[in-house]
Amino acid sequence: MEKSLNWRIPLVLIVIILAVIAFYPPAKKISLGLDLKGGMHLTLQVLTDEALAVQTDMQVDQLRSSLKENSIKYEKVIRKDYHTIEISGTLPENERDLRTAVLDKSFQDWTYYFSGPVLVMKLKENIERTLRDQAVLQALETVRNRVDELGVSEPTIQRERNDKILVELPGIDNPGRVKSLIKSTAMLEFRAVAAGPFATREEALKNYNGVLPDDLELLPTNPRRLQEGIYAMPKAAVVSGTDLRKSRRAQDDYGYPAVGFTLDSQGAKKIEKFSSANIGKLMAIVLDDRIESVATIEGTLGFESIIKGRFTYEEVDDMVLVLNSGALPAPMRYLEEQTIGPSLGADSIRKGILASVGGLVLVIGFMLVYYKAAGLNSVLALILNMVILMGGLAMIKATLTVPGIAGIILSIGMAVDANVLIFERIREELGLGKAPKSAIEAGFKKAFRVIADSNLTTIIAAVFLFSVGSGPIRGFAITLIIGIMASMFTAVFVSRVLFDLTYGRQKSIKKLSI
Amino acid sequence: MNIFKKEPNIKFLNKRFYAFGLSLLIILTGLGVYLTKGFAVGIDFSGGTLLEVSFRDPMNVSKIRAILAGQGMTNAQITQVVRENKFFIKTVSVSGNNIKDDSIEDHEVIARKIKSALMTAEEKTSTQRELLDLNTNAEGEIELFLRSRAVAPEEAREASRLINQVKKNETGLIRSYDELAKAGVKQNTLKQIRETTYLGNFAVLKTEIVGPQVGKMLQEKVTWACIWALLSILVYIGFRFKAILYGLSGVLTLFHDVLVCLSFVLFFRIEMSLQVVAGLLTIVGFSINDTIVVFERLWENLRSMRKENLEVILDKTLNQTLSRTVITSLTVFLTVLSLFIFGGEAIRSFAFVMLVGVIAGSYSTIYQSCAWLKTWEKSLLRRKKS
Repeated sequence: MEKSLNWRIPLVLIVIILAVIAFYPPAKKISLGLDLKGGMHLTLQVLTDEALAVQTDMQVDQLRSSLKENSIKYEKVIRKDYHTIEISGTLPENERDLRTAVLDKSFQDWTYYFSGPVLVMKLKENIERTLRDQAVLQALETVRNRVDELGVSEPTIQRERNDKILVELPGIDNPGRVKSLIKSTAMLEFRAVAAGPFATREEALKNYNGVLPDDLELLPTNPRRLQEGIYAMPKAAVVSGTDLRKSRRAQDDYGYPAVGFTLDSQGAKKIEKFSSANIGKLMAIVLDDRIESVATIEGTLGFESIIKGRFTYEEVDDMVLVLNSGALPAPMRYLEEQTIGPSLGADSIRKGILASVGGLVLVIGFMLVYYKAAGLNSVLALILNMVILMGGLAMIKATLTVPGIAGIILSIGMAVDANVLIFERIREELGLGKAPKSAIEAGFKKAFRVIADSNLTTIIAAVFLFSVGSGPIRGFAITLIIGIMASMFTAVFVSRVLFDLTYGRQKSIKKLSI
Repeated sequence: MNIFKKEPNIKFLNKRFYAFGLSLLIILTGLGVYLTKGFAVGIDFSGGTLLEVSFRDPMNVSKIRAILAGQGMTNAQITQVVRENKFFIKTVSVSGNNIKDDSIEDHEVIARKIKSALMTAEEKTSTQRELLDLNTNAEGEIELFLRSRAVAPEEAREASRLINQVKKNETGLIRSYDELAKAGVKQNTLKQIRETTYLGNFAVLKTEIVGPQVGKMLQEKVTWACIWALLSILVYIGFRFKAILYGLSGVLTLFHDVLVCLSFVLFFRIEMSLQVVAGLLTIVGFSINDTIVVFERLWENLRSMRKENLEVILDKTLNQTLSRTVITSLTVFLTVLSLFIFGGEAIRSFAFVMLVGVIAGSYSTIYQSCAWLKTWEKSLLRRKKS
């Protein structure tokens, strides 16, 4: 018996034990993908342009007041697009002041140049990148908070490439609700009401002789809470979501469900000042550009308030949830959505098992018939390959998906290929008249390079597949990669150990069963 | 057991022009289909809405088409799952031809419209009477509904869980309330459920909505991934065999395999999807294996048979490695076959591409990679001498 078996056998045993520990019990260690257990998969895109536009708007405001402070005359300051501001009508003699006192001092995030008489300001690229990045991270955090509040078990929420957020919710049981919860920007505002209600937009415009003043906008009511209608209100909010401290479930005077909230001290001050000056006038609570509630100001308002309306308990809970999880820095849109019911996943598992067993039986049958005893060797190696594959998947915490199962089945066929190459080489060496022992030796040695080469090319392709695919396809690529790497170990190393174990004891082997 | 009693002696290369002809025929057929009909594009790439719906009573494609047409949805594509009472309903574009104008919300509306169109008159009146369909509503929706109908919270929780369990059967449908009793729903709860719910005629097993922006990005990514994969393999093999011609002929072979697969995909109207791409890239990685085996042996033989001309050496090499080429492909073919037969609809197009690709890969090892080398004989041998 060869001496090297003294370390090779324990090594094989250790690998087996480690693999088994890694995936036993499989029900706990191998997590199933959404396509197998059912659930919901969403890809959202954060519209970071909008977040930039909000930032730029704020800068426009600051710029105006800064110009005034330095008594620099101008005609107009406008936001051209999400990252450009244009100042027109400044005088040449003010240019130096404009540069040193305003732009270079307080607007260092911007580059600027004159285009004729117009000064164009552009947000610096690195600043823009950072701002976009922040918007996505903040959105990610907000989505995470909301999903956590929902109490979904084992959700996956991750950022994917630049501005995309991937949400996977296993076994989600109320798709519509979840979607609107996640997407709600949750911009809560207290607004003064200029005029209203009007039945239609046209009617509202008539009130202003067809032209709406610059500082006003028209907003619709949320028909679930209020009678359908349109109100005109100033663009600037009295109090915005950033002044909100906490929101909670509440009841109105008649005991119906309502949303209560508390403002922080800054917000409380603002609303106190506003309400005391506007007693008898209307005020509206606006959520995501829809009016949720309109009420007459009857006295000075404090930091506690409620939104009442025709709420159900669930709606109250949802609204509290989105308000408390914070506003989204920018709106999001759905790019993709997949909802898989419970039966489809169960069906896929059944079919996957059937196909795996079918593949195993066919391949094992073939190897045994074609290579006899050596075939048994490769079958043992194959089974070990499967064990290592499962262990590997469990170790890297991969999720098993439908394509992943396909990857496993494919690995069955590919793993024995290394054995086939070795066995064919051994047969060839035997045909050349070599003694069995040296034929085995030569077979393993000569086949090794080919096996390494061909496996490497397969891995190259799988890596590229991984780079394009989304969840399930990635599962396939990973399974294939692990399966192939495991086959390098099982078919080349373990098979050799098995050969040496079988034939090593005998002084001379008369005949090789291959 | 052996496929060949002894080493075969087949003259492969003198038939290479027939093989070129056959490949050309297949690829030209594919090209013809492409030019006349184009790819059948799955929603992965085109964007759109895909529903998989399971029906209780026997249904057929034309019936569904008529129902949807009645609601003005004439552009839905409907296909039946083989041997099952399940159907895929797909709509690609909402606003006529220009998919760019669609938003994903439009597709959501479409999905809802399809669902409500599929309801029978009886179901619609049941819904109007504020009864809940157990088959189309999800676990959480059912739980909330039962609670609102005065079922105790814990009972509602438990009952909706059991209802969900029952739905895990193959059809995804509850056929009768007796199934719920069998699953262990308590008698008095079941009575309440019977009074407030009904069992609809269908269940939506899967909803997939892909926004129009996604497909375009994906097309780009997929194209690049394929190009990079092929280039990497070209470089690797060229480097490995110290001659770029080997790499080139290997990659041409892969191109051939991919084109043949695509031709079959086109001819059999398989939908172009990420799954098909996965199949193609796997073929790229796998079908080169045979080629490497042959090149490796050729490398050996070129040294030991210096005197012979290239065609003889190539034929000898191919004969020596023939059983390997056949068997390694066969084992993979067997597993893919099992996947194709038993794996179900979810993975069938992948399995299809693999089936074609494995065969094409085996054949092209002989009739493409080596044939290309033969075509470049002069430059190859000149290189050897110097």
